[in-house]
Amino acid sequence: MAAKRENGSILQFAPFQSSVDEGFWHRLSSLKLNKFRIDDSPIPITGFYAPCSHSQVSNHLTLVAESLPADEDEQSSVPAIASGNRNRCSVPGILYNTNTLEDFRALDKKSLLKQEAKKIWEDIQSGRAMEDSALLSRFLVISFADLKKWSFHYWFAFPALVLDPPATMVELKAASQWFTLDEAESVSKACNEWRSSNSTAGVPFFLVSIASDSRASIRHLKDWEACQGDGQKLLFGFYDPCHLPSNPGWPLRNLLALICSSWNLKSVDLFCYRESRGFADLGLSLVGKVLLHGLQFHRDHKDLPNAVGWELNKDRAVPRSITLAKSMDPTRLAISAADLNLKLMRWRALPSLDLDKLASTKCLLLGAGTLGCEVARRLMAWGVRKITLLDNGKVAMSNPLRQSLYTFDDCLNGGKYKALAAVTSLQRIFPAVEAEGVVMAIPMPGHPATSQEVDGVIDDCTRLHNLIDSHDAVFLLTDTRESRWLPSLLCANANKITITAALGFDSFLVMRHGPGPLPNASKADAANALSDEMESLALSNREQQRLGCYFCNDVVQPTDSTSNRTLDQQCTVTRPGLASNASSLAVELCVNMLHHPDGHLIEQLPFYRTFACVDSELALGILPHQIRGYLFDFSQMKLVGRSFDRCTACSLTVVKEYRERGLEFLLQAINHPTYLADLTGLTELTKSANSFDIDWDDDGDDDGFADI
Amino acid sequence: MNESAWDGTLSASEFSASAQAFAEKWKLNNPAYPPWTWVKSLEVPIFATNQVSLVEEGYLSLENVCIVKSNDDEVASCVEGEASLYDKEDEESTDSATLTSSGNDNVQPYYFDFHIIYSASFRVPVLYFRAYCSDGRSLGLNEIESVLPANSAKVLLESKWTFITQEEHPYLNRPWCKLHPCGSSDWMKLLFQAVEKVDRPAMELYLVSWFSVVGPVIGLGIPIQMLKEP
Repeated sequence: MAAKRENGSILQFAPFQSSVDEGFWHRLSSLKLNKFRIDDSPIPITGFYAPCSHSQVSNHLTLVAESLPADEDEQSSVPAIASGNRNRCSVPGILYNTNTLEDFRALDKKSLLKQEAKKIWEDIQSGRAMEDSALLSRFLVISFADLKKWSFHYWFAFPALVLDPPATMVELKAASQWFTLDEAESVSKACNEWRSSNSTAGVPFFLVSIASDSRASIRHLKDWEACQGDGQKLLFGFYDPCHLPSNPGWPLRNLLALICSSWNLKSVDLFCYRESRGFADLGLSLVGKVLLHGLQFHRDHKDLPNAVGWELNKDRAVPRSITLAKSMDPTRLAISAADLNLKLMRWRALPSLDLDKLASTKCLLLGAGTLGCEVARRLMAWGVRKITLLDNGKVAMSNPLRQSLYTFDDCLNGGKYKALAAVTSLQRIFPAVEAEGVVMAIPMPGHPATSQEVDGVIDDCTRLHNLIDSHDAVFLLTDTRESRWLPSLLCANANKITITAALGFDSFLVMRHGPGPLPNASKADAANALSDEMESLALSNREQQRLGCYFCNDVVQPTDSTSNRTLDQQCTVTRPGLASNASSLAVELCVNMLHHPDGHLIEQLPFYRTFACVDSELALGILPHQIRGYLFDFSQMKLVGRSFDRCTACSLTVVKEYRERGLEFLLQAINHPTYLADLTGLTELTKSANSFDIDWDDDGDDDGFADI
Repeated sequence: MNESAWDGTLSASEFSASAQAFAEKWKLNNPAYPPWTWVKSLEVPIFATNQVSLVEEGYLSLENVCIVKSNDDEVASCVEGEASLYDKEDEESTDSATLTSSGNDNVQPYYFDFHIIYSASFRVPVLYFRAYCSDGRSLGLNEIESVLPANSAKVLLESKWTFITQEEHPYLNRPWCKLHPCGSSDWMKLLFQAVEKVDRPAMELYLVSWFSVVGPVIGLGIPIQMLKEP
């Protein structure tokens, strides 16, 4: 609200606004870390501003990386910044950077402002400001750089000496309306010359002298005496950062203080210089007549006037803050680089790639050995972030050679637990991975639990059940057949994406298990609606169409394969090249599955479709059921196996039994050597096969009988 | 140079020459915008037979291009305030001579800096850019996309040649956005074959033609006159 006085309304100045380039904070951080450390003495800095160049937007006082003092060692990029260049005029300032947030809050802002105002006042009194007028716009910044969170708190002050009583404005209008056409042309020309010359471009306060023949010239402030007389019009000019049509910018305040103090004038004519497109714009620039009252500022009066100038933040007297974590925190940078890589892949080669799905798929890896390490790395490369590794072993001396997440140090002192060492290793590769390690043995049939072990086994079964439930994809990467039984059953029960990888000496198997025989428990309510007959019909149909699991090819139940083995059998020797081949295929197969429109269930696919799904939407490729690779001849085969209705792991019988009897059933399967075979009818099958009387023909027809 | 098929790329010295030509044409034909300036970087001496020729390396720079959006399009909230930090308002902030409500509350200015830098590995120019609020805070990529004029955002989405990524500026070591260059040589080749009907362009015009495709993506138009021979 402009208060009315006898001679016009109080002249109101638009406050200066600050703008801090991020480079300033980067540089301050590095200086703080390397040079200043805990020293919090004030730092001289340089601000830059230019006259307004846009009719809707004011210009700011800007801090950039070069605003901070140059290092003695840094020769190159900071030579003559102190002298203004065309686009920006430099202004001296001071920075108080504190070491803690408490120090920042405790700074005595009143006294700091007074200190800087005093410097301006003294420069005016001594005549230094007359010589170097940029001193009139001296400014102050307080800050706190939180180098752990990469956030910066700051507050600018633009000290302005308060005129008491305040200056009043008689009139203020566009310069083009004030000057005659000839004068306007001449003033523009003179301003453009002033702005283009290296010696004057950085001088923000000046005199505009217009002779009686309309010729204008721009002079330094100190030439004021020389400009008196001869009927010249004399205006005080300055680079005005403000764009408003009825208000001048903040730098004018201290210019008026200088005028009052030096020459005791009662009224002054002002020229608020603004530009557009690099040239003087007299429509945007303002000219006004201002009245100065009182003798307070006469040079005989030495008292320091009051000062105002702390910058408001959205009209509130609070500091500002900015966080640069995104561009400074190395972990964030790693994340965005990884994302970029995948996005490039999507952009250039695979538009249908679903990166969000990959990032959110929770993968459980059973086994953190040769296969587990490789699978984990490939998954991370695909952008999978949530990886759980389960293994009860410790890193042995021979492991680091073949198991790519471990190093020699992991073997020392008995060896770290693999699951935990793997997690550490993954985090070292990519800090943003959400990896978890579970140290646990998988209960296995054929390895009966003693009475002391029973509780532990029950716990492990429950734990494994819950782990499988809480993940989206499960990789079976253990080193024995029987250790895959329980996971296969649980995955069939929960209908999870299940990928098995197994190694021979020079061959491997990678396969995806088919869906389980029963829908998930939550869908059971819908199933109840069907009649019993229809239900069994639906189920048996499903049985026939289902793809098989790892055990569907077996006619014996899983037993103890580890005891009574010879040394070479115990050491699971495989050719080194196999593990990465198999692991890579396992992961790629999983990624293909995740992109299949039917989701991971891929139920009831007709026979041919399971083999080669060449739909156009499957840009990633087909979804084979089994891949068997042979290093001997560097070949690979793709096979299909349907589910076996007497499978010990995924048949309807077994899953139903588990759903009904739970842990009791599991214990029985684990402890009793033939229970599973009996339950599923394998025992029966074996008996009938053995009793089969084959009449061997003696003709010598040597048709090769295919092995079962 | 009678190569049978031009691969859409240009050499470092061709880039420098083309950049000068581009900057001059821009100044002449596009007065609405400030001119592009050539910023020198390292000068690498190249020894060729017995003469030393200095290949001047540098890039084109256009900075502080202001785009004003009205506050209705809530794009990016700039620097936050510390509400809890100070309980009472300080008396020293304002006096009767301070204008408290400014007239520009309903517009939000955004500033863009553009650099055209030569990529030695792709052998094409690359457009780097960044945007920031009036108080200096950088805009993120999605914020930039909402600030750019509507039709350039559309070009960005629809074109299979344009892909914005965030990477370190090669000279300034700060994260900038760039239009990824891996498709550039392909479409430059197409452009010249289809439009100009020549197998290989006069290299001085390379940048002008390149910019006619790239410019609209970031909202910088190029007047038709620039594309014509002077």
